[in-house]
Parts: sequence; structure tokens; C-alpha cells
Amino acid sequence: MRELLRRFRHLLHRDEFERELEEEMRHHLALSAEQRGDAGASRQFGNITLLREESRSMWTWTIWEQFLQDLRYGLRSMAANPLFTAIATISLALGIGANTAIFSFMDAILLRTLPVKNPQELVVFQWRAKTQPGVIHGMTGSRFGDKTGINSPNFPYPAFQMLRANPDAVSTVFAYAVAYRHLNVVVHRQAEFAEGLYVSGGFYEGLGVTPAAGRLIGDEDDKTGAPAVAVLSWAYWQRRFDGNPAVVGQSILVNNLPFTIVGVSSPEFFGVNPGAQPDLYVPLHAVPSLSTFRQETERRDFFDGNYYWVEMMGRLRPGVSREQAQTVLSARFQQYASSTATTAKERVEFPALRLEDGAGGLDSLRRQYSKPLFVLMAMVGLILTIACANIASLLLARTAARRREIAVRLSMGAGRMRVIRQLLTESLLLSLIGGVAGLLVAVWGIRSLTWLLANGRERFTLHATLNWQVLLFTFVLAVITGTLFGLAPALQSTRVDLTAALKQVRANEGLGRTRRFGLGYVLVTAQIALSLLLVVGAGLFVRTVANLHSVNLGFNQEKLLLFSLDAKQAGYKDAALAQFYADLRDRFGQIPGVTSVGLSQFPLVAFYWNSTDIHIPGVALPEGEETGLSIVDPGFLPTMQIPILRGRGLEERDMTSPRVAVVNDEFVKKYFPNLNPLGRRFGLGKEKPADIEIVGVARKSLYNSVKEKETPALAYIPYTQNLDGLGRVFFELRAAGDPLSLVPAVRRLVHDASSNVPVAEVKTQSAQIDETISEERTFAELCSGFAALALGIACVGLYGTMAYAVTRRTSAIGIRVALGAMRGQIAWMVLREVLAVAAVGVVAGLSVAWATTRFVESYLFGMKQHDPWVLAGAVVVLVAAAGAAGFGPAWRAARIDPLVALRHE
Amino acid sequence: MYSLTMEDKSEIPPGTLYMLVLKTLARLGEMHGYGIAQHIQQISDDVLQVEEGSLYPALQRMLIKGWVVAEWKQSESNRRARFYRLTADGRKQLAREVKEFERVMAAIVRVIRPA
Repeated sequence: MRELLRRFRHLLHRDEFERELEEEMRHHLALSAEQRGDAGASRQFGNITLLREESRSMWTWTIWEQFLQDLRYGLRSMAANPLFTAIATISLALGIGANTAIFSFMDAILLRTLPVKNPQELVVFQWRAKTQPGVIHGMTGSRFGDKTGINSPNFPYPAFQMLRANPDAVSTVFAYAVAYRHLNVVVHRQAEFAEGLYVSGGFYEGLGVTPAAGRLIGDEDDKTGAPAVAVLSWAYWQRRFDGNPAVVGQSILVNNLPFTIVGVSSPEFFGVNPGAQPDLYVPLHAVPSLSTFRQETERRDFFDGNYYWVEMMGRLRPGVSREQAQTVLSARFQQYASSTATTAKERVEFPALRLEDGAGGLDSLRRQYSKPLFVLMAMVGLILTIACANIASLLLARTAARRREIAVRLSMGAGRMRVIRQLLTESLLLSLIGGVAGLLVAVWGIRSLTWLLANGRERFTLHATLNWQVLLFTFVLAVITGTLFGLAPALQSTRVDLTAALKQVRANEGLGRTRRFGLGYVLVTAQIALSLLLVVGAGLFVRTVANLHSVNLGFNQEKLLLFSLDAKQAGYKDAALAQFYADLRDRFGQIPGVTSVGLSQFPLVAFYWNSTDIHIPGVALPEGEETGLSIVDPGFLPTMQIPILRGRGLEERDMTSPRVAVVNDEFVKKYFPNLNPLGRRFGLGKEKPADIEIVGVARKSLYNSVKEKETPALAYIPYTQNLDGLGRVFFELRAAGDPLSLVPAVRRLVHDASSNVPVAEVKTQSAQIDETISEERTFAELCSGFAALALGIACVGLYGTMAYAVTRRTSAIGIRVALGAMRGQIAWMVLREVLAVAAVGVVAGLSVAWATTRFVESYLFGMKQHDPWVLAGAVVVLVAAAGAAGFGPAWRAARIDPLVALRHE
Repeated sequence: MYSLTMEDKSEIPPGTLYMLVLKTLARLGEMHGYGIAQHIQQISDDVLQVEEGSLYPALQRMLIKGWVVAEWKQSESNRRARFYRLTADGRKQLAREVKEFERVMAAIVRVIRPA
């Protein structure tokens, strides 16, 4: 205790103690000098500094004092080398930050569990088959295929009833169906689209979700004839109703039908799919009343055993494994499916039921993003590797350049451990600053990645939060790199022969290149190889996007505004509906700045597809032959600037007159090769009369995607010809100026026409096309960014290594110049070395690129994975960058004055 | 001049420096560092040579432990010097160390004595 007090006193009066110690030693020295004569005294005393340090270290605080000293010194030396500090910090920050951001997204997408009770007990029902099973007569929902077959989560409602009735393996089974068409919700006379989910009565109970207000949907709500009720999601309740608890019991209009809000689900519950957050939940049995053909839908959805549309989840009984439950349930479903088969063809293959892990909810998002994220992760991993290699080579080079400083410190009496500790403190300090900057990069990166992945979608539901474990991991990795590569040269350079080091002449340093294949060069070469890999990747994606952009669309995408309206959901029908759209179209045409207006069932190049059976009198077609359809108004083709090649375009009179159509030249090529198609007739749909007359031929344009290999044969049909099928439509407005400036006028006109009809999906045609190639664009943007980053880091590493190499060889170069070497020769000597390093790196990088680009082949368009232009371009870029990085040191070497250089020693 | 060869001097056996310093102070009362070193050397007939490099850190350590206290005074040659003096704790420590040393010494002697 008293000892501690004494130590404290020492700390407070440190200077005094120091002075006293100093004086005491002088006293000692003086006395022994008196006795022995001056000569040997100070020598005999030995290393005074060391002695003083040791005496001081007795007081223990020294270790902290020295740490603070090291820190101060480290900061000062960082400030003295701003370039080095900046490069090292930036490369570390990018490596740490980018990795953390990407991994945080991987975590959010691949590893998140549903916020419900015991999510590990949940299973998702799917079926799998090699080919489309014959027992499936119709389907609404998603299916996805791979090389081995097709998978789908959709089942017939009777199968759900059958499975729910036998709760032996799975305690509860509940069903739901996504409302693929947005629901038109009118609240306080304001119409808005909302995302809906139809749920069975056992949905909330099975998941274990609790209400935040009111009650949730139960079995009594989900049956025919039950009062129409709806549950709000917490987010929708907050957004649309300001979290007002009084909305429970209120009535809202959904697709023009009154629904009573009975409750709000708990705040953390976002639905069963992390990729989609429904606003509104209504019972499955409300589906027919919300649909266009109520009775037909009811019969099909609830009584047709061959119509697959509901998705199911279940909760395993405690102690029952997923495999056991699957064995029981798949046998039962097999029995069900065979009972619905009526012909031999339908018995060929039945869909096989499978149970998937349901803890993470549905996996649509995982399917969509996991592969791009793995590609991104690989790129970011490369960046981290490059950054670490960069830190390593910079530290190596710097310590080499500091040999002299270290030798001075050693000869002045610094202990070896002390110098090593100093160097370690510096590299740790660097890692720390890099880590903090990395944190900022991670936060910013998550934000911009959300923005990139959301890609303009208004309500993007994927939200990643900063993953601290990953941040810690990458940070520790950076610290270890810093320590390792700070320590190795520290150990080495503290063991130097002081005299030689002070003179800056090293035994192994001849006149030529020294240690050409040292660790530093290996690191720089590796960086160049990895950068090449990223540059090749960037080149491939950039060229892919350029190819996609330069595809001949067949129409003019400039200055074109798109938006959709659905007046049918607001209660308009048949002729009134057609009239509503026609009136609006006329009014849109009068907006100042609108040069032309068109209307279509869906926009071009937006992944929409409509096709139907076709038959042509006098032309033999294979059974099931289909043609593409484009349901339009007369203004569509002129607005899109799709030219008419023969005959005439659609006109206003065609809207009411006998049935006519314009077809594209692909249609002519396919069905009337070398014949005049004008005046010929065809029929759409089975057993319908061939009463549609071809009046014109339009030039072909892209239909559903810029990546489509061949444009389909297409018929443009006036929208008035099939009023039953008329529902939502898209308008195309050709503008004289900025198309988005028309939006307020459009909204006002629509609201004036009917306050129950919302304007939705507002965007320009160019943005629409960009959206369909968003994955490629995201890759191109990110990969270009990463490549530039990697290139920058690698060049800086090369520059640093070469600059230090030149500094180290100043005297050798001076001798050469003194002996008559030309400046050009000297510069070339350095440049040659740079280019040699670059060449080795490029060759290594190319061979890796050759082997690995096949992983991204599926993302490429209009080119091969080994595109010679991309590979050659990447090599040129790298060699040029390396040359630029080496130019500085080479120029400096060439300017070395032999006199100064030789005096340098 | 002096001409001492290595054989004439010995390093102080490890762990005994504190004891020697404490004993010296016990004998002399008050002394500065140089005096302590000289005293040990003289008493041991130049066999024990105290290195300054170990003496001053040792004195610092003893100050921390509270075995000695230091005071600046005029020395016999009219210089300012730091004089060290034993404390009660130091005296106890000396007794402990001497006792321990004699025990070990006796044991060593028993081992190396011709049988």
C-alpha cells in the first residue's frame, strides 16, 4: 500500500527524480574519475542511457510512459509521412469496411430467422418434379427450375385441408397466398396500392405472432360467408394510419369492397418472406370476392384439386425431425395427387412433397441475391487481400528505409526490445486508425448497397445492420497483418551491424538490383495479379452493360414516361372502363409538353409476356402454337416510334369496327413467308373464329427483355376487342422535355377523373429498361469501383516499394552516374524493374482470370468469358498503371546527383 | 595504475546484492552509492565488484520497497550526494536475507565438502 503511494509520488515528481538520478550518477562518475584518472571512467560506467532507463523502469509507470512516448512518436512519424499514412489507412479502411458491409448483407439475407416463436420448428412445404406434372392443370404462384427439375411452393387448397386434418407429424399446418396484383386500398378517400397476403385461419396461431392492437385473423374469419376482415402490418399501420389505435373496428375499401380492420400484428413481424413485407393481411376465403370473376375463382380456388395456388408452412411436433415428417407427409400427398389424376398421362409423374427448413422464412430473396452476393464477396475478399499485402509491403519497405534511424537509436543506447516495441506500436496505431475508418466505410457501404440493391424500388424491405462480429474479424485480420509485417522487419533491423547500417552500406547491396525477389516484390506482384483479376471482371461487366445498352430496341426509349392505372379495382367495368381510359388518354394528350400518348396492357422490355393459341386458315401450324400479344390503343405504335412497314397502323375507327390487328415482321416471316399478309385473317384462342384481319405490318421491336434471343411473332390488338380481359393498363407519354416533369399534371388529371384510382409504377422507359438489367449494372458499377480501388492500391504499393528501393540504392546509382551512365539508362533500369514486376503479376493474374471467369459467365451478355478485347484491355491498363507508378521513382533515380549521392554516406 | 585481471574479481552472486547493500548500510549508517560500492569492494578484498549498472537500479528498488530512505547531503569531499539510510523494514529484511543466505550457504558447503 505504502509502496503504491511512493510510486504515485514518483509519478508526480518525475522530473525531480530524473534530475536526482542524473546528479547521483555524475557524483559517482566524478568520484571514480578522481580515483582512477579520467580515462576509463565513462567507459567503465557503461551505457548510461540504458542504466537510467532501467532505474526508471523500477518505478513501473515507465511502461505506460514509454507507451505514450511511442504513441506520440508514432503519430509524429505518421504526420511526417502523410502519403504513406494515407495509403495505408485508406487501403485498410476499404478492406475492412467493404468486407463488413458485404458480409452484413449476406447475414441479413442468408442467415436471418423469422421473428416468431421457436422458428427452428417451422417447415416450408414444396413440391419437386422432373417435368411439369400432368395433374397440375393450373397454377398461380412461383416456380423455379434448375437442371434437375422444377420446384414450387404452391399446392391445391384441398391438399391443404387434407394435410391440416391429420396433425400427427406436424402440429399445425397453415396456408397463405401472395396477392400478386396489388390491392387498391381507399382510406379517407385517398386511393393507394398496398401489398397483400391472403392467410388461412391458423396462420398467426401457427407462427405464434401476437397482435399489437385488436385481434388477428382466426379460423372463424376464414370461411365462405364470414364478414370481410383485414389485419394491418405494424409498418403499414404506422405509415398510413399514424399508429392510431382507433382504426381497429374501422372500415376501409379494398378493391372497392368494405373490409373491417380487426387488428394490427406485432411490430417485429414482417411476414414469412424477408424479401416482401405485406401491408395488409386478409383471409384466404376473401380471395374470390376480391377477384374479377367471383364464382369461377371460388370454384377453382377451393374445389379444384388440380389447381395449385396456396403456399403452406407447418410447425414440427417436438421430437419429430424434418425427415420423419417429410416421409409421412409426402406419402400422404402422393396419395392425394394420384387421386386427382384422371388420365394415364397425368400419372406419369406426380409432384413429390418436400419439407424445407422454415426458420428463415421463404427463400425467394436468397435465390435472387445469394449468387450475386457471393461474387461480390469474392471481389471484396480480393480487395482485403490486396489491402493487407499493401500494408505488408509498405511496412517492409518503410522499415528497410528506417534502418539508419533504428541504427542511430540503437547506438544511442536504446534497448532492442524498446525499438521493437516502438515499431509495433506504430503498426498497431496504423491498424487502429484503419479500423476506425473501416467502420465508417462499413456504415456508408451498407447504406449505398441497400440503395444499389433496392435499385429505385420504393419499398425495399431488405435491411442489413452492421455486423459487429465481421467487423471485429476483419479488424483483427488487419491488426495481425500489421503486427506480423511490422514485427518481422523490426526484428531483422534491430539485429543489424550498427556500423554498416549507419553508413547505409549493406553487405549484400551491390551495384545492381538488390533482392529482386524479396518478400516486398512478391507482395507487389501478387497485388498486381489480383488487381488484374478485378480489372478483367470489371471489363467483362462493363462490356456486358454496354452490349445491353447498345441492343437495338426497335423503338425510341428517350423522353418516354410510363405509369399504370387500374380503374377496374375501383369498380369500373367493361365499356365504362374502356371509356374511362380513353377519356384520360385524350386529357393526357392535352398536357403541355406531351407530344403523343399511347396505352398498352404492359410496357415493353419489362419482363411482361402475354401469348395465346393462334390458328390461321390455310396455314398448317403445330398443335399448341402460340403468338405473342400486345394489347394496345392506336396511339401506342406512333408513340413508341415503331414504324409501319406495310399497310396501315391501328386507327381510332378500329376500336369499334370489325376486329383488326397489326402484326410485326417476325409474325409475317413465321406464318406468311413470301406472301402478302395484308387482308389475311387469323384467330386467337382455341375454338374461336378466325375473324381478325391483318391491316398492317410493324417493324419488330424488343418485347420482354433486352436479353431475348429472338423477338417473338407479335400481334398488336386494340384493347377494346377483349373487354373481359381489360384491367390494369400502362400509359406511355412521349414528352418534348423531361418526361418526369409531367408527373404532377398526370396525377392531378387522374385524381380529377376518380379519386379512387391511384397512379402507380411511375418511371421513364429508360429507367424501366435499366431496371431489367439492374443486376448487370450493379455488377459493372461495383466491379469497376473495386477494380479502380485495387489498381490504385496496387500502384501505390508498387510506387512505395520502388521509391524505397531507389532511396536505398542512391549511392549505387550515384556511382553509376559518376562512371558515365546516362540519365535515360538509369531511369530505364528502374522502369525495367517495375515492368518486370508488372509482367510477372500480369501473367499470374491472367492465368487465374482464365480459370475463374466462368463463375460469372451467366451474367455476361453478347460476349464470351475469355473476351480477347477485355483481356487485352486489362493488360494494357495494368501495364500502363504500373508504368505510371514506376515513373516517379525512375525519374527521381535519373536525377540523382553523383556528388550528393556519394556524400550521402 | 591498476592491473586487475578477471580472475581477481568476481561477480556478485545472484540475489545477494540487496543483502550486501543492506548490510553495508547497517554497518555504515548513512552512505551514498559510490561509498556503498567502495565499501563492499574493500571489505571483500576486491573480490566483490559492484557494477554501477546494477547498484543504482537496486537502490531504486529498495527505495520503492521502503527498505531504505534517501536524503541529499554534503559529502565528505564537499559534494552534494544522495545518502541512503536503513529503515526498520530494511533491518528486518536484512535479517531475513542473512538467515536465508546462511542456510543456503551451509547447505552448499555440506555438498561440496570432501566426504
